[in-house]
Order: sequence, then structure tokens, then C-alpha cells
Amino acid sequence: MIIDTLLSHFGVTSNRAKATAYGTITLLTLLLVWIMSTSMFQLIEPRVLPSPSTVVSKYIQIITEPFSGLTLDGHIYESVRRWGWGVFFAMIIGIPVGVMFAWVPWFRTLTYPIFELLHFIPPFAYIPLAVLWFGASTATQAMVVFVAAFPAFVINSELGVSQVDKIYVDAARVFGAKRFATLRRVVIPAAAPSIFQGLRIAISNGWMALVGAELVVGKVGLGFMISQGQENASVSTIFVGLITIGVLGAVIDNIIQRSERWILPWRRNVTVNNG
Amino acid sequence: MIATTEQLQPGHGKNAKLQLRNITKQFGNGEQAVVAVDDCSLDIHEGEFVVVVGPSGCGKSTLMTVAAGLEEPTAGDVLLDGIPAGPPGPRRSVVFQKFALFPSETVQQNIKFGLQMTGVPADEQERRLAEQLKVMGLEQFRKAYPSELSGGMQQRVAIARALVMQPETLLMDEPFGALDAQTRTILQEQVQRLHREQNYTVMFITHSVEEAVYLGDRVIVMTKRPGKIKKEIQLPRDVVWKTGDIEQAAEHKDFIEARREIWALVREEIVAG
Amino acid sequence: MLRSASINRFLLGIGAVGVWIVLWWWLTRPTGPVPSLYFPSPDAVWTKFVRMWTRPYIGSTLLEHIFSSLYIVLSGWTLGALVGIPLGIVMAWWPKVKWIVFPVFQLIRPVPPLAWIPLTILWLGIGDAARMSVVFIAALVPWLMNSMLAVYSIDKVLIDAGRTLGANDRQILTRIVCRTALPTLVAAARMALGSAWSTLVAAEILAATAGLGYVTVNASQLLDTDILVVAMLTIGLLGIAMTACIQMTQRFLAPWSVRQAPTS
Repeated sequence: MIIDTLLSHFGVTSNRAKATAYGTITLLTLLLVWIMSTSMFQLIEPRVLPSPSTVVSKYIQIITEPFSGLTLDGHIYESVRRWGWGVFFAMIIGIPVGVMFAWVPWFRTLTYPIFELLHFIPPFAYIPLAVLWFGASTATQAMVVFVAAFPAFVINSELGVSQVDKIYVDAARVFGAKRFATLRRVVIPAAAPSIFQGLRIAISNGWMALVGAELVVGKVGLGFMISQGQENASVSTIFVGLITIGVLGAVIDNIIQRSERWILPWRRNVTVNNG
Repeated sequence: MIATTEQLQPGHGKNAKLQLRNITKQFGNGEQAVVAVDDCSLDIHEGEFVVVVGPSGCGKSTLMTVAAGLEEPTAGDVLLDGIPAGPPGPRRSVVFQKFALFPSETVQQNIKFGLQMTGVPADEQERRLAEQLKVMGLEQFRKAYPSELSGGMQQRVAIARALVMQPETLLMDEPFGALDAQTRTILQEQVQRLHREQNYTVMFITHSVEEAVYLGDRVIVMTKRPGKIKKEIQLPRDVVWKTGDIEQAAEHKDFIEARREIWALVREEIVAG
Repeated sequence: MLRSASINRFLLGIGAVGVWIVLWWWLTRPTGPVPSLYFPSPDAVWTKFVRMWTRPYIGSTLLEHIFSSLYIVLSGWTLGALVGIPLGIVMAWWPKVKWIVFPVFQLIRPVPPLAWIPLTILWLGIGDAARMSVVFIAALVPWLMNSMLAVYSIDKVLIDAGRTLGANDRQILTRIVCRTALPTLVAAARMALGSAWSTLVAAEILAATAGLGYVTVNASQLLDTDILVVAMLTIGLLGIAMTACIQMTQRFLAPWSVRQAPTS
């Protein structure tokens, strides 16, 4: 096709390079369409879709002037803070619970059914309950984040522990390890990649839940910003909120992904050669 | 030159170190029950290198797992120095076929594992660790993770981990099965040498008849499943062929004859399927 | 014992839940540590549950609220499938399409579906359409991603086998690709439903006049904790019911792929 020949002209031949090129071209085209339909030819009402320049100026506005009491970094801080608390508690309770599900059979028999049942109630359904208990405070949002992040920790921790090759447990027994020492030194490190995966999922679920919770209730934060944008019929504010949420979410996931090499150093070279 | 149990040399007249008495192991119940080991009895004396061979699936690995205490026998006892052996522990150190090195720990952490679990003082731990690293040629890999090592190196670490415990008995479950032929040859020679120098009491499982003849003082041949002991073959201990590597040994007349005899026994069992 | 293992597990599960219900009752008993304002007792929940079948709460009976929620969630979920599955398959099959569509998709993905509600309300007003579009977005992501994954995970050997037997592109697509992709699609159905259901509840909290989410927020404001809990439990039970339906469909459509639940 035409685009292909054009690209190979510039030395873009490999599939990966082509994918990036196509992607960039598409995004630029969309950007162009956006600009043309709003600022240039004014095909769409600013009320429905603001021009890019409006969004940018809104960004600048929120960064410099306080919006409902806080500038943009203030709102970001508030959102991240609540999310952080929720994920923290989900982690320190969820991981042990998940590990125990796999390690202590009677505990699983007793507690798993209730966990499964509660799992089916979406985190957002807890918002009214949290509001009833805590009012419109940080605890409300943190609780919703907790509910959203908790299952991922439990499920992935259980999975990790239950999938540890029995031979490691055997080896630990042979060399004199008691039950708890086996768990601590052998089983949990072996389950760590799975637990880490749970962390990634929990973090992302928690972030989603946080935004939703802030939409519904609260006076600060990115979600609140979006709902305010709706109330003030300021689409540009909404856009600022959405873009920031999206970017932050991607950044956080990226950080977590990169930190895996640091937290689990023995996974550097996972393919085992034989002989 | 090749003696059978009837013509036992009095060399190991001591009491048995490790005794397996009438071991039967059954998996599953009722119709789907599988009897892996059927009424096997085996005495391993101190300093003896006993090798168990047999066709695939004959239950030799299961026999070792029971001997190590990792599985409870359906019937029979495992005795260590005449007393019921109980749960697994460093007195019956194990080298596994799949290495079983703890992936999240370095080589030295792996080797020191048993020492830490049994409360050996720190300076003694270091001393023994240094010794093993030297003997197994692992000094430059002290801080490496298992995933960074080749199969042969990993198994060396596994052997070091077992030997560092100065075990009363050493159980090895087809330890070279997952390695390539060259590494296998080198490690066989090393194990042979270690045994001659340190006089370990060893129960060694393999499907390779050559390996059995090369390494063993006594070779136990098992039947196909359900595994019983078919025959015990005593091999002379301090023979010329055991000082070289397996390639050199394989040229020796007595080696060839022993191998032929044992292989015929094993083949009978394979074909009888 | 003649009972099979899975029935035993089920009974044990019921028993375990029973233990927790007893604990619940004990904590919320009249002289207990938890006041009924904060959490109702089991009998209060049951009473209210029964009453809501016949007596309308904020204009509709429980059944009517259920239908209202189900209507929106199933429409959005179905729309997500109708768009997501073909688009995903096409994207996986023709790399050029993927290179064009995927970057846009990646930009939109990190934004939680619910965050689109204020925008949709501004554009479409507070009606069914706003909620349905948000549910649609929530369902679209799993449908699309899993459809792509399903196509990718098809062993190329099967396609080669089809080619040597004379099948053309379209036949390969329908008979080999779609069939082998079925289990992944069912997984997609489950995930999309979970996402859609979750988003719907929140959307109803924000912008509805009927439906279970709306009931919760109303009950919360009026401090009717027992009704709140009834609604929450109903939401959960409906989630279980819908997931069970999907699993039954999987057993019917792709029996070779049904896995046993992990043993406890």
C-alpha cells in the first residue's frame, strides 16, 4: 500500500517500526481532525467538544489557580493518597489471607465461601455503605479502594502459593525446615511473582474504583474534578480530569512493572539451561 | 569376580545404617489403586553405596521417597540405626533429579539452608560452606542465583547442599537424569571420588545400568510395577575400574560382564510388560 | 458415602456461610456491639427483602428495580460484544488495522469507564443512554482484548492443517479460529459482565431514577441501612446468577474446555 512504500522510503521496514509509525500517524491525524473541527472550522460546538487549545489553557488554569480549593497537584495528591491507603490495607490483609487459603486448608474451607460471595458485590456498591459509615471523608474512598483491590491480592497470592512445586517443599523438609520456616523462606519467595502480579492488578482495580468513588462523593480529587466539570457544564475541565487520570494510571503501572526487577532479583534470568 | 548375595563378602559386616523393612506403597484406593512398591526390604550398611535400578515406573523413586520420609509407606518401616526414622530430615539428605534449588536464594544461601535450619553456629556454617564450594568447584558462583546456572552447576549446588550437612545417609534420586552426557560423566566421577574419600552411606536411584555398575558396591534390581526386589548383586569394592571415569571403566572386562548380567535382568522386566 | 465430592464441597460451603451468618447475627443482636444503624441484623434484612417484593420502594418494587438494572447492563454488555468481538478478531487478523486502532484504544483504556459518565450526561442527558454508553465502554475493553487474544492463541499448526485440507481464508476463520477461540471468548464474557455490572451500579448511583444502584444511594441518604444491605446482597446474588448462566453456556457450547474448580 501507499503508506507502506512511503515508510520504507524512510527506512521503516520492520513490523515493530511500522506499528509505531502507523500508530503515530493515526494519533496525529486524530489530533488534526480535532483541531480542524473545533478551533479552525468550528464544526462542533465548544459545549460538546472543546478545542485542544481550550483544554490546554484549562490545564494551565487548574495548575495555577485553585479549583475548589486546590490546584491540580493538590487534587492529584488527594486522589493518590486515598488510593494509597486503600491499596496498603488491601495488601497487608489480602496477601496473608490469600497465602493462608493455600497453606491452611481448614481456614480456606471456613472463609472462602464468604469471600466468594462478597466478591460478587461490586466495589461501587459499597459506596453508599461507606458514606453512611464515614461520611464524605478520605476513609470512604479508601474503603472503596480496599474492596476493589482486596480480591486481586487474595486470589493471586493463593494461586502463587498453591502452584509452588511440591519438590521445593520436600527439599525444605529434608533439610530440616519447620512448617513456618518453609513458608517464609521457600514457599512465599516462590509465590512472589504471582503475588506481584496480584499487586499490579489490585493497583489498577483500586485506581479505577477510586475515580468512581470520587465521582460520587467527596470534595477533592480527580474524580471530583470531573463531576464538577459536569455540573459546571465545563467539558474542558472533564477532559483535564480524564487525561490526568489516564496518564497517572499508565505511569503507576509502568513504575510497578519496572520495580519488579528490583523486588524479585532472582527472576533476571529465568530460562534454565540444561547441561 | 561378580558375587551375588549368597557369596557376600564380609567387608560390611556392621549393623545396617538404613533399613527398609517390608515396604509397601500404594497410591489411591479401591479400583484405581496403584501399588508402586510391593514388600521390599533393603538394608544399607554404613559406608555402602547401594544402587537401585529397574525399568521405568518400577517404583524405585517411590522407594527412595519412602526411605527419605517424604511419603508414608502403606505398610512396613524405615529404620535409622535400628530406630524408626520418622519425618524427613538432614540425617537422610536428598539430592533430587530436578535439583530443587530454592530459586529465590543464591548458591551460598541454598547450601547454608540446612545448616541454618538446624542451628549450626555461624562460623561453622562459613567453614563448611567454604569447604563445599571448593570441593564442588563453585567458588566463583557463590552469589549467583540458580536461574543463572547451567543444569550441571545446579546439581553440583544441590549435592553441596546435601553434603554440607555431613549427612549420615545420602539419598540420590536419579540425580544426573536431567543432565547432558558430558556433564553426567564428570559428575559421576566426582560422586565416585567423594564416596571413596569420605565413605558416605548412599542410596542411589538410576535407570542407567552402566551408572549402577560404575558407582555401586551393591546393585539392587527391581521388577516392573508393582516393584519387588528381583535380585541383589554384590560388586567388588576396591577395583581398578572405579578409580577412573566411566568411559575408562567401560573397557574393563569385569565391568562389561557385570553390566551384561544386570542389563539382562532389567531387560527381562521391561519385556515382561 | 454415596455423595460425590462436589456435593460435599457445596454442603461444606453452605455450612461455612452459615457460621458467618450466625456470627453476623450475634454481632448485630439488639444488645450487641454493632448498632442497627451501622449494620442491620440478618432477620431485619430478610424481612425487608420479603417486603420489597410487594411494596414499592421509591416507586418500584424490588423486581422492577432488578429489571431496570438488568436491562441497562445486558444492553451495554451485548453492544460491547457486538462491537468488541468483530473488531478484536479483525484487529488480530490484519495487523494494519491493529496498528491504527490499538494506539487510540490504549489511550482510552486507563480511564475508568465510570469516569466517562459526566461526559455522557453532558452529551446525552440523564437518561438510559448515558448509563448504557458507560456500561458499553466498560464491557468493550474485555471483549476486544480477549477476542484479540483468542485469535492470537490459535496454534498456527491448526490453520496450516486447514489450509492443506483446502479451506480458504473465510472458512478457516469461521470453522477453526472461531471454534478454538470459544473458551477465551467465554472468559471475555465473564470479565465483560463483571466490569459492566460494576460500572452499572456506580452509574445508577450517579444518574438514575430506578435500579438497584439507585436504591442503595437512596437508602444511604435516608439511613435505611437494612434496605441498603438488601440491595447490596441482591446485586451480589444477581452477579452470581449471571456468572452461573455464562458458565452453563460454556458447558453447553464448549464442553471440552470446562475445568474443575480448584479443590479446597
